[in-house]
Amino acid sequence: MTAVVAPRTHVDAPPKHLTEKTKAEHRLAWKLVAPAVVLMLAVTAYPMFEALYLSLFRYQLTAPKDKGFVGLENYKVVLTSPVWWDAVFNTVFIMVVTVSVELVIGFAFAMIMHRIVFGRGLMRTAILIPYGIITVVSAFSWQFAFSLNNGFVNGWFSWLPWITGNTNWFGSHWPALFAICVSEIWKTTPFMSLLLLAGLSQVSEDMLEAAKVDGATWWQRLYKVILPNMRAAIMVAVLFRALDAFRIFDNIFIMTKGAVNTASVSFLTYAEIDQQFQLGLGSALSVLLFLSVLLIAFLLVKLFRVDLASARGEG
Amino acid sequence: MNKLGARVYVGFVIVLLWCLLPIAWIISLSLKPVAETTAGSPHFLPSSWTIENYKTILKNHDFLHALLNSFGIGLIATALAVVFATFAAYAIARLEFPGKRVVLSIALAIAMFPVVSLIGPLFNLWRAIHLFNTWPGLIIPYMSFTLPLAIWTLSAFFREIPWEMEQAAQVDGATSWQAFRKVIVPLAAPGVFTAAILTFFFAWNEFVLSISLTSTTAARTVPAQLAYFVGPDQFNPPASTLAAASVVVTIPVIIIVLLFQRKIVSGLTSGAVKG
Amino acid sequence: MHGSARLARTKLKSRRALALGVTIGLGCTLLAACGGSSGKPTLTWYINPDPTTDPNMGQSLLAQQCSTNQYSIKVQELPTDATSQRQQLAYRLAAKDPSIDLMSMDPAFTAEFAAAGFLAPIPLSYQKVYGAGKLPGIVKTATYAGNLIADPLWANTQVLWYRKSFVQKAGLDMSKPVTWSQIIKAASDNGGTVGVQANLYEGYSVWINALVTGAGGQIVSDTAAGKDAKITLNSQAGRDAASVISELAHSKAAEPDLSVSNEGTVLTPFATPQGAFQVNWTFVYPNYQADKATFKDLGWARYPETVAGKPSRPPVGGINLGIGNYSTHKAFAFQAAKCITSEKSQIQYALQTGNMPATAAAYSTAKLKTLFPTPLLTLFRQSLQGGGPRPNSAYWSAISAAIQSKWHPPSAVNSSTPATSATYIEQVLQGKALLQ
Repeated sequence: MTAVVAPRTHVDAPPKHLTEKTKAEHRLAWKLVAPAVVLMLAVTAYPMFEALYLSLFRYQLTAPKDKGFVGLENYKVVLTSPVWWDAVFNTVFIMVVTVSVELVIGFAFAMIMHRIVFGRGLMRTAILIPYGIITVVSAFSWQFAFSLNNGFVNGWFSWLPWITGNTNWFGSHWPALFAICVSEIWKTTPFMSLLLLAGLSQVSEDMLEAAKVDGATWWQRLYKVILPNMRAAIMVAVLFRALDAFRIFDNIFIMTKGAVNTASVSFLTYAEIDQQFQLGLGSALSVLLFLSVLLIAFLLVKLFRVDLASARGEG
Repeated sequence: MNKLGARVYVGFVIVLLWCLLPIAWIISLSLKPVAETTAGSPHFLPSSWTIENYKTILKNHDFLHALLNSFGIGLIATALAVVFATFAAYAIARLEFPGKRVVLSIALAIAMFPVVSLIGPLFNLWRAIHLFNTWPGLIIPYMSFTLPLAIWTLSAFFREIPWEMEQAAQVDGATSWQAFRKVIVPLAAPGVFTAAILTFFFAWNEFVLSISLTSTTAARTVPAQLAYFVGPDQFNPPASTLAAASVVVTIPVIIIVLLFQRKIVSGLTSGAVKG
Repeated sequence: MHGSARLARTKLKSRRALALGVTIGLGCTLLAACGGSSGKPTLTWYINPDPTTDPNMGQSLLAQQCSTNQYSIKVQELPTDATSQRQQLAYRLAAKDPSIDLMSMDPAFTAEFAAAGFLAPIPLSYQKVYGAGKLPGIVKTATYAGNLIADPLWANTQVLWYRKSFVQKAGLDMSKPVTWSQIIKAASDNGGTVGVQANLYEGYSVWINALVTGAGGQIVSDTAAGKDAKITLNSQAGRDAASVISELAHSKAAEPDLSVSNEGTVLTPFATPQGAFQVNWTFVYPNYQADKATFKDLGWARYPETVAGKPSRPPVGGINLGIGNYSTHKAFAFQAAKCITSEKSQIQYALQTGNMPATAAAYSTAKLKTLFPTPLLTLFRQSLQGGGPRPNSAYWSAISAAIQSKWHPPSAVNSSTPATSATYIEQVLQGKALLQ
């Protein structure tokens, strides 16, 4: 500690002293980051180990006497269960659909925000409201919109051949999944568009002007100039949104409670632990959910070749 | 150029509609009488308008309790997370040390962590150490999960601060404390504030932990209370009352957005551009 | 660099002090929440929501009335559906929460809570008091391993509610027992609907169980065997039940929101010109009192038969009052339960909520007859006496969830559903299949 406040006059200090200084700086830095690191790990790393341990047991909260070691049996049950694979499919489907749609809509939003002169503040406000709104509230709003008794969707879109006043959106798989995707897209497009806007502002106007002078069409400018120059921003946005979408839970809980096969991996894990009280099987699901997220993050990082730590931490 | 301008403003209107339509819808729903929504009311606007739902909801003790919990837990978690994040971000932005990348990687991993994975073990742990259904039982995990965003936002801000000014002030005769307070604090404050807003949004929005680690209004926050809403109908929460509750909990969000939109945008995009 | 580092340290110190202060603050909040206050103890009674939110009615009023100068009772409301009620209570009880003194439990999880040791064993003297004169259907749901484990507060049953004008138009004779097929056909032929409960929730299991028991079958045969119980859903009775559900789901008599229907959603369509039939609990009668036209047209009959000629087994519901095993005021709680479930309390509660008494004698009191017509009271009592409660298994929650996941949506039910669901339930109970 004392080394930190060493007098500043030692201009030509011996090399040994420099290392002392460096060491002191390291110590200080570690003291500063320690509370945050400890807190982050305490709430995640330790419970993950406990989940790993619990996943080896047959353990139901309301039948504690029946608790027993079963080895890897729970993993076998999960991985051979159609319920698990349905949930994986739903989750990946929601992730791919919502992120792709958001990328397109979000990019359009970003272009408009970038070009707009008057009303910029209004637009920013409008876009930040879905971002800031509670996901549960957004899910309720869309659930009511699609609901049979109180929703306006059936009335507004009854000109479509497959929609009537009696269309029950939550009565079968694909329509219910559609409603869930709409609520997710509405809520999270703003985040995507803001990240893309930041990338868009990095694209040099001179280059665009030059391309225009050279006779490039709008599409050519988009593909040859704008998108390549925004690559990093797009990838960060996609990565964060994809991992966010993979963890989808709130909308499903509110809108369908997993009915008509709309459970996501997160919802399935929740149901197994919080509703069925199966702490053993549920912990196996927790571990698998964690590994899935890790796998997706790994694949995306490999695919995009983005150095994320520096992208978010030192950019 | 005019054509482009016109196209931009058509897009502008579409964006406004897309973003605000569900808000208008939930407000409209909240102004419908309970009898109307119970009987089924598939129209966008109410056929008769009422503010009865707001009166009901503001007399609902469980809801008010949840609001109090949300504010209390959200503000405490925000304050503490920002304090810890400030330490960490200062070190990351200003000091060189081995393991900096490790810290950043941990933060990144936490930001991507599937919270649902934790509900089993945390429930087990919390009931063992009596944190289940208490404020600290939610504050602690909320801090952990907001730290990454707070650290990123703050370190991006701290990197922009001209720290030489502090030394210059000291040369001019100010004590270190004065130099810090008069020079650095005003420069760092906006960043800290931005981090605080984003942290608060997270805590205000969080649902999974709130339904899993609470069981009564002693600690249950607004999102969970809405999910377990009990109205005059013992089987179905009345849509219009629930909509009124939704509008009430969205008001703080709208106020924060109106006042601090620039800060929120800069916080969300900090560090996202340069790869 | 040095200067700022030193500053950072000062900053760190003060921040540390702040953090410490806040931590202590949190600790105190925690302690205050944990510590009890001296003086007259307060019993906490976790209640399921009543049809009224008025604090001077329903269970809230009983809590006030049954407070004495030794203790007072306060209520804490649980979520609306039985599954969430079970979840919230089990969480606290698994955490050995001493603040749960009394709890209103759905029959669906009464046995499970007893098996888990969440309920205080009831002394024999109190078992006699709590069981005295109560209807056998509801007493069965409060009995586990030969002992009364909870105190029945009120008993619920379903009957077939119909529009008199509609059955007249359809030419259906309601004085004799009717079958599901008959009412589905009558409704679809005459532009009417049949309201049931078929959302993915406990209420759907109630319907399925009533259909299976009505056909002379059982979902589980030996509930005492716990998770090794024999699943007997794959039977003729199971297939008869499946055929009723499938018939309704594919007929014009199905309401459009069939797959998300519950006790509340079927009330509205019934009051429209398409309204014809609904099976629903006893609260339906007072529910329509405000709607004069519907109320005048409201008829009732015994729950429909699954197969012609076999008497139906109407669903049995209600609420059992449990005493928390970790309560620090058990003696007071036993005493309070006696007051809460007294015949007088039950009648007052029935008058305010339409939830019928668990005590048989209450059905013939003059007071109850002011609200319900005598023939309806008789029908309720008979339904409860001949009712088919859900299997009293400690694993019912898992069984029920497994059934729901295979039988939902109703339109997907077919003759092989009983077989697939029976296998699935067995696997779930043995921990060999994942449950959603």
